[in-house]
Amino acid sequence: MRGRFYFLYLFLFGSSVLCAQNKELLYDFYEIPQSLMINPGVKTSEKWHVGIPVISGLSVQGATSGVTVNDLFANDGIDFTTKVQERVLDAMTRKDDFSTTSQIEGITVGFRGKNRPDDYYSFGMYGETDIIVYWPRDLALLAFEGNGGSNIGRSFDLGDLNLRGEMINVFHFGINRKMTESLTVGARAKLYSSIFQFQSIKNSGSFRTTVGQDNIYVTSIAADMQLQTAGVKGFYDIVEEDTGTTKKDVTSLFTNRVLLGGNLGLGFDAGFSYQLTPQTTITGSILDVGFIYNSKDVWNYNLNGSAATEGISVYLPEDIDNLNNDLWQELIDDIDAALPHGENQQSYISFRPVKAYGSIRYDFGEAGGNPFNNCGCGVNEQGGGGNRDYYPNSVGGQLFMMKRPRGVQAALTGFYQKRFGRVLALKTTYTIDKYSLTNMGLGLNLQAGPVNFYILGDNLLGYSNIADSHYASLQFGINIISWNDN
Amino acid sequence: MKRSFYLLLCITAALLLSQSCTEPQDFSQFEDLSITPTLATGLFYMESDEETINEAGSLVTFYSQTVNFDAFNEQYVAEHLIEGTITYEIVNTTSKQLRITIEFLDEAGNTLDVEQFDVEADPSGTNIWEVAYGPGGKSLDILANTSSLRITAFNFGDASSVSAQTEPKIKFKSAAEFLFRLK
Repeated sequence: MRGRFYFLYLFLFGSSVLCAQNKELLYDFYEIPQSLMINPGVKTSEKWHVGIPVISGLSVQGATSGVTVNDLFANDGIDFTTKVQERVLDAMTRKDDFSTTSQIEGITVGFRGKNRPDDYYSFGMYGETDIIVYWPRDLALLAFEGNGGSNIGRSFDLGDLNLRGEMINVFHFGINRKMTESLTVGARAKLYSSIFQFQSIKNSGSFRTTVGQDNIYVTSIAADMQLQTAGVKGFYDIVEEDTGTTKKDVTSLFTNRVLLGGNLGLGFDAGFSYQLTPQTTITGSILDVGFIYNSKDVWNYNLNGSAATEGISVYLPEDIDNLNNDLWQELIDDIDAALPHGENQQSYISFRPVKAYGSIRYDFGEAGGNPFNNCGCGVNEQGGGGNRDYYPNSVGGQLFMMKRPRGVQAALTGFYQKRFGRVLALKTTYTIDKYSLTNMGLGLNLQAGPVNFYILGDNLLGYSNIADSHYASLQFGINIISWNDN
Repeated sequence: MKRSFYLLLCITAALLLSQSCTEPQDFSQFEDLSITPTLATGLFYMESDEETINEAGSLVTFYSQTVNFDAFNEQYVAEHLIEGTITYEIVNTTSKQLRITIEFLDEAGNTLDVEQFDVEADPSGTNIWEVAYGPGGKSLDILANTSSLRITAFNFGDASSVSAQTEPKIKFKSAAEFLFRLK
């Protein structure tokens, strides 16, 4: 009981304080090297950069489009079951979800090509965990209310069960090329090393109890459901065995999977930045177009078929000589046979959640030379990196879209960015999406000599009572950046 | 001056990002969650035409069957059942007065409870009986200990008359609606 309680706590709290994968603050914040990771074609000014291992890029995001921790656990004197009924069962729909994403950069390195200063190469490794669970509304109603009473005649949609999650390690290599003064393009190849993956995303069917043709009720079920997992059973077996070496075995398996010992996949990112006018820039990127082929440690569970029952039925005179008294067991067996279910180890392909960004930015203010001079930035080189006007202010809009199991999830962002020379840059955002209409974010990039520190926080208004927040994210990191030969 | 301004901005931003707070939460409320679904299902259906009843004879049992029925005494059901109702419905369009009896038997074959339903000859409409179990009704132990059901159908009428109805039949229906406490 206590375990279940802590699981619920972690699930809801984790979801509420941490969000979807939108990184609107980091996007096109080109003073931060990690902006290359969400637009390989972002403008780059550095000569080289190196992330401090493990702490160069940490991000945790979480979201709930429905109930928050505070909705349920606030000390408000309202009966808990009433709160669950009114704020979860009556309020949440099958489109609501709980999601969490976290990333931790292990290594990140970038450098400008010696012979091709137009090119900026970057490579590294990062780990990512991404989980989304849609609210299984009809299944929850079935569990809480049952199929009787006022639910007679109601069809419970088994397709409401929809969830997906994975933990992966990503090895990547990207090229960012300044094609012209106005256009920068980039691409990044990715090798995915899966630690675990699970999905149950193509379910359909219904469960229904109605007035029967013969008997008072007939209960029918039609199901086409599947849970696919890869890499989960290995961990489960170790924990289940509970030997004295459990911790060591889990660590060993985890390390093996991180270092390409598990299921592998391929993917790519691509992006561009195009300067329409000296002060107006458009950008776009598409990320994680890729897949993982899951063939190792696969465990799937299927339920497929249809059945209907009105209970034990006897028809006379047809059954007059049937003296079998195991009619109940026969009924169970018939239903079991009509609903084939079981495990299998069939390989499957899981697709990565594709993300796309687009933006338009207008720079303004007192124009000056680029403070990142001596950058040796290829096309800029002849001008010492300062031929492009530098504006201290930017304003613009961004669009984010992400492929989720139930369709595309979008977010629209307006932003304002202020630069104080090379030392400091601030970016504020206002974002609307399915999680929040009041999401205001603030990002800070601080450059102290070669040391670069950034911290980006979303939905700051939600921080006043984080338990009541539908969306929050935090990213920070430290890099060493050089713009010259020192 | 300029440095102070930067410093102020940094401190402000850091404070904004770090000074999160939350109202007190009482997670022990989860223990108070009550989940009590009502589950409904058809139980037993029996029908017989009038010819079969006539062939069995007058004042005789024309059908008797004992069937294993472990739905109620499954451990989970027995432990979580709070209350429930079994509904019986009989439609008799034959020309005979009939009696249907349901006996709830334990594993040793002992009778735990008996339900007896008498129906008049056609026209007698739809006859409905509701038997409650749990608080205010019969003991839930009857259901929890039931391992099999004995169904008996008896003809109080003659063995020759035929109802004027097309396809005269006796239809015996039953269904259960049980309230469970899952948590």
